[in-house]
Amino acid sequence: MTAAGNHNAGDDIVATVTAIAAAELGLPAASLRPDADLRAIEGMDSVKVLRMIARIEQAYDIELDDEVVFGLSSVAGTAGAVRQALGEQP
Amino acid sequence: MTGRAVAATNQHYDLDPELFGLFLDPLLKYSSALYESPGDTLAVAQERKLRFVAGRLGIAGGERLLDVGCGWGSLVLFMAREYGCLTTGISPAPRQHEYIAARAAELGISGLVRTEVGHFELASLPERGFDAVTMLGSIVHMPDVDAAFRKARQVLRREGSLYVSESCFRSTAARQAHRQRAGTEFVRDSIFGWGDMRPLSALVAAAENAGFSIAAVDDLTAHYYRTIEDWLAGVRAARPRIEELAPGYAAVLERYLEIANAGWGYTTKHYALTCRNARKGWRA
Repeated sequence: MTAAGNHNAGDDIVATVTAIAAAELGLPAASLRPDADLRAIEGMDSVKVLRMIARIEQAYDIELDDEVVFGLSSVAGTAGAVRQALGEQP
Repeated sequence: MTGRAVAATNQHYDLDPELFGLFLDPLLKYSSALYESPGDTLAVAQERKLRFVAGRLGIAGGERLLDVGCGWGSLVLFMAREYGCLTTGISPAPRQHEYIAARAAELGISGLVRTEVGHFELASLPERGFDAVTMLGSIVHMPDVDAAFRKARQVLRREGSLYVSESCFRSTAARQAHRQRAGTEFVRDSIFGWGDMRPLSALVAAAENAGFSIAAVDDLTAHYYRTIEDWLAGVRAARPRIEELAPGYAAVLERYLEIANAGWGYTTKHYALTCRNARKGWRA
């Protein structure tokens, strides 16, 4: 799953997830690539991961599966899970 | 174990009550509030919570109540003042007792409020001597949860009630996965010195094994989240004074509260469990 493509809603989700992750990490959004491994970024810890997930869930009024929450990988991967939870086709 | 538990409670709970007054509600209740509307203040929500606890216990007035882990006495003082209960508070942190005695005297209810410094598991308390027992966030500090429920039943009269509220791992699997995590260890070792969070099922099992009937389970997770958000706002607003009282502590406190609030619903839950010391529970 990648963020590439012309799906506008999908791009919005990637942008939103990026903004939320960057805010939690205190980094500029531009420094987060969609394929960056979120868990490997310096300064990331399990508490920040959960806060990030909570903000994403709140933003979209969804509840992500535990596999997504605890297996969080990249911005694009998370955006894909959001898309799925919203019932959108990727 | 007991030595460790003493150190644990002393470490955090025996700090200056003024420090806690800077971010808790006026009653210094250090557990979840109960909110009803978006405009509710922490103070209003904490009072509502105490009335809710009274309701779960069937308090009508004048009951003998034991509060295990009484903190700064919010529950004993409230039940004595509002319901005329004859209350006993027990806690291992000595400073809390001077504070409670002074508050009881101010409120003119010294005759209804007594406290004991010590550990519930080891305390000598009258068998069947209470109509109600409460444990709000204290069982997490007790190494032997079965012994705690057994003791609670021992000191309750027949048809007495027990109210336990506790932060729990969301499931047995979550406990196994997260008890060694950095956040868990920080909260356990740096804040409390000792604590062992269990899933609700472990508390229910201990209650059943002790011979209790389960009367109610309430999910208070969202309420504890909001309570801690209110505490965090208080800590941030009072940072300079907290730093004067306990240098470096504002950051520790903030970190602890943020960790606690990140986990609700993902790794942790906050439940209230009401038990009855009666074969058939509440009378039909």
